[in-house]
Amino acid sequence: MRGRGRLAVAAAALLALALIGSALAATSRSTAKSPIVIGWAFDGSGNMAPFDGPALAAAKLRVDQLNAKGGVNGRKLEIRTCDTQSNKPDIAKACALRLLGGKANVIFTTCDVDLAAPVVRAAIDRGVLAIAPCIGTDQMGPKRFGAKGRLAFSFGNVAQDEGSAMAQYAWSKGWRRAGLATDTVIVYFRNVVQAFQARWRQLGGKIVANETYQSLGGNNVQNAVSRLNDVKADVYVTSTAGAFGALSSFITGLRTLGNNTPVLNSWAGDGTYWLPANPKVTNYWFVTFASCFGDDPNPAVNKLAKEVKAGTGGFITGPSAIDGVVTAIKRAHGSTKGSVLAGVMQRFKKVPTISGNISFSAKLHTVFGRRYRVIRIQDNVPKVVGTIVAKVVPKI
Amino acid sequence: MTFVATVLGADWQTLADAFGLGGIYALMAVGIGLVFGVLRLVNFAYGQLVMAGAYALAFAYERGWPVWVGIILCFAVVVTLAVAMDWVVFRPLRGHSPAVMLVATFAVAFLMQSIALLWFGPLGKIAASLSALNQPWTISGVDIRKISIVATAVAAGCLLALVLLLGRTRVGLHMRAAALDFQTARLLGVRANRVIGSAVLVSGLLAATVAVMLTVQSPLVTPDFALRDTILVLAGVVLGGMNRLISATLGGFAIGFASGFLGGALPTNQSQYLPSFLFAAVILVLLIRPRGLFARAGQQAVERV
Repeated sequence: MRGRGRLAVAAAALLALALIGSALAATSRSTAKSPIVIGWAFDGSGNMAPFDGPALAAAKLRVDQLNAKGGVNGRKLEIRTCDTQSNKPDIAKACALRLLGGKANVIFTTCDVDLAAPVVRAAIDRGVLAIAPCIGTDQMGPKRFGAKGRLAFSFGNVAQDEGSAMAQYAWSKGWRRAGLATDTVIVYFRNVVQAFQARWRQLGGKIVANETYQSLGGNNVQNAVSRLNDVKADVYVTSTAGAFGALSSFITGLRTLGNNTPVLNSWAGDGTYWLPANPKVTNYWFVTFASCFGDDPNPAVNKLAKEVKAGTGGFITGPSAIDGVVTAIKRAHGSTKGSVLAGVMQRFKKVPTISGNISFSAKLHTVFGRRYRVIRIQDNVPKVVGTIVAKVVPKI
Repeated sequence: MTFVATVLGADWQTLADAFGLGGIYALMAVGIGLVFGVLRLVNFAYGQLVMAGAYALAFAYERGWPVWVGIILCFAVVVTLAVAMDWVVFRPLRGHSPAVMLVATFAVAFLMQSIALLWFGPLGKIAASLSALNQPWTISGVDIRKISIVATAVAAGCLLALVLLLGRTRVGLHMRAAALDFQTARLLGVRANRVIGSAVLVSGLLAATVAVMLTVQSPLVTPDFALRDTILVLAGVVLGGMNRLISATLGGFAIGFASGFLGGALPTNQSQYLPSFLFAAVILVLLIRPRGLFARAGQQAVERV
C-alpha cells in the first residue's frame, strides 16, 4: 500500500513537472515569436496627412523588407495604425491609448510637436518610447516634455542643423549678402531662419534684410516681397511650406517684379505641388531629406520614392525611423522597454539608416548631422544639385 | 497722395500695396453687403463660396483647359452653390432669429471646408487663371501690380452695376423694399423668394469674381482659402456701416487698405501682431461711431449679431 502510495506521488510529481516544463516552454516560444508592435497614430486627412501618409507607407515597405530577412532578434515587426483624423487632440489621445492597450512596444506620432503632444504624453506617461518621423524642432524631447521627454525622439532634422546646412551651402555658392524672410507661424520655420542667421554670421556673411510674414491665410507676404525687393541681396532665405499658402505668392511676387535673386528654403519648401505655372519658378533652392524626383544619390531611396509615389523627401523619415528603432532594439539586446531604448538612442552617433547617418544627444533628440540633398528648381523642374552636411549646430 | 504718404509716414510702395488689397476686399464687401441688405444675414460662408470658385479654377487649370473655360466653370460652380445654400439651408430657416441664421452660416462654412479637405486634400491645388495680372506697372519707381488696379476697377464697376440694379430696375426696387421692411414688402406683393433668390444669385456672381481676382494674388487654393480674408471683410463691413451698400463697400476697402498699410508700416518683427492692431482699430472706430465709419448722419444703428 505504502509502495503504491509512493508510486502515485512520484507519478503526480513527474506529471506536474512535465506540465510546468511544457508551460514554460510554451511561454518561451510565444515570447520568442511575439512581434514587436509599432503603434502609429497618423493623420489621414488633415494638414499633416501629406507628411504622415508617405512616411507611413514607406515605413511599411521597410518593415516588410526587414521581416523578410527574419525580423529583429527573431521577432517580426508589426505596424498597427490609428487615424487621428486631422490630429484632433481627443481623437489623437484615444488613438494612443488604443494602440498602447494593444500592447504597442513603440508609439509613432505625427510630424508637428504641438499636434503630436497628446500622443507623446500618453506614450511617455506609460514608459513607452515615442517617435516622430519628421518633427523638425528641438522640442521633441526633454525641452518640451520635461523629464519624461527622455523617451521622445524625432527622426526629422533639428532646425538648428538644417539652417546651418543652408548657410554653409549658400556660402559655398559665393553668396555673401542674405535677405531673410521669416514665416512666423510655426516654431520650426522660425528656428531654421534663426539658425541660418547664426551660422551665416559665423561664416562672415552679411544680413541685408530681416523681414517677417505669416502664411496660413496671412495677407502680408506682399509687404515682405516689396521690402525685400528694395534691398540688394545675393540670396533670399526663408522657411515655409508650399501647403501653408504663402510660398507661391512669395516667389511669384518677387519674380513678377523682375527680381531673379536666388531663394533658399528648408525642407518645408520641398515638392512641386505648389508651383505656379506663370511665371515658372526659377532659381529656387531647398535642402531636404531625400529627393522624391528619382534622382537621389541613393538608388534604394529612388526605388522607395517610386513605390510610395512620394510628393516630398519627407517620406524617407518613416523607414529611417524604423531603421533607428531596430538598431536601438538590437543594441538593447532585444529589449523594447522605453527607458532602455531611450538610453541607447541618446548615444546614437552616426548610426546608418536609409536616409544616411544620424546622431542624437542628451540635449538634442531630433537628428543632426544628416546629409541633406540640395535641390534646385529651374523653370518648374527640380533637380538634385548637391549634398551638404552641417559642420556646426549653432545655438539660437 | 504725396500729402497722404507724408502724413502716414509710409512709402509709396506700401500705399500701392495697401490700395490693391483694399480693392479686393471692397469687391468681397459688395457681395457680403448685398446679402446683408436684403436678407439681414451675415453670411460667414461667403468665403467658402470663393474657395469653391477657386477650386473650380484649379480644376480647369489642372486639365489644361483654356482660361475662359475655367472662369465660366468658376461662375457656374459658385452660383450653383450659392443658390443651393439658400434653398437647402437658409430658406427653411427664414423667419428664425438672426442668431440662428448666423450659426447656420458657420455650420455651412465648416461643412464646405471639411468637404474640400476630404476631396482635394490639405496640400492645395494651383489655380493659374489670370496670372499675367501679377505683372507690375512701374510709375516713378513704384511697382503697382495690374491686379491692384483691375480689382479696384472691378469693385467700382460691380458697385456701380449694383447701384443701377437697385435704383433702376423692378427687382432692385423690390430688393430695396425688402431690405427696408421685409414683412411690409411681402404684404405689398413683393415676392420674397424671388427677391432673395436674386440677391443670392448676384452675391454668387460677385463671389466668383472675387475667386478669380484672389487666385491671381494667391494661386495656391487650400480648404481655408479666403477664410481669413472673409473674417476681415466682415469686420470691414461692420466698420463701414451695414445699412448701405456703399458704406459696406467702403468699409471693406478701408480694412483692406489698413491691413496692407499696417503690414508695410509696422516694424517687421511685429508683423505677427497685425491682426491685433487691426481689430483694436475696428473696436476703437465702433466705439466712436457705432453706426459705422461711412454711415449717413442720423442713420439708425443696425441690429448686429
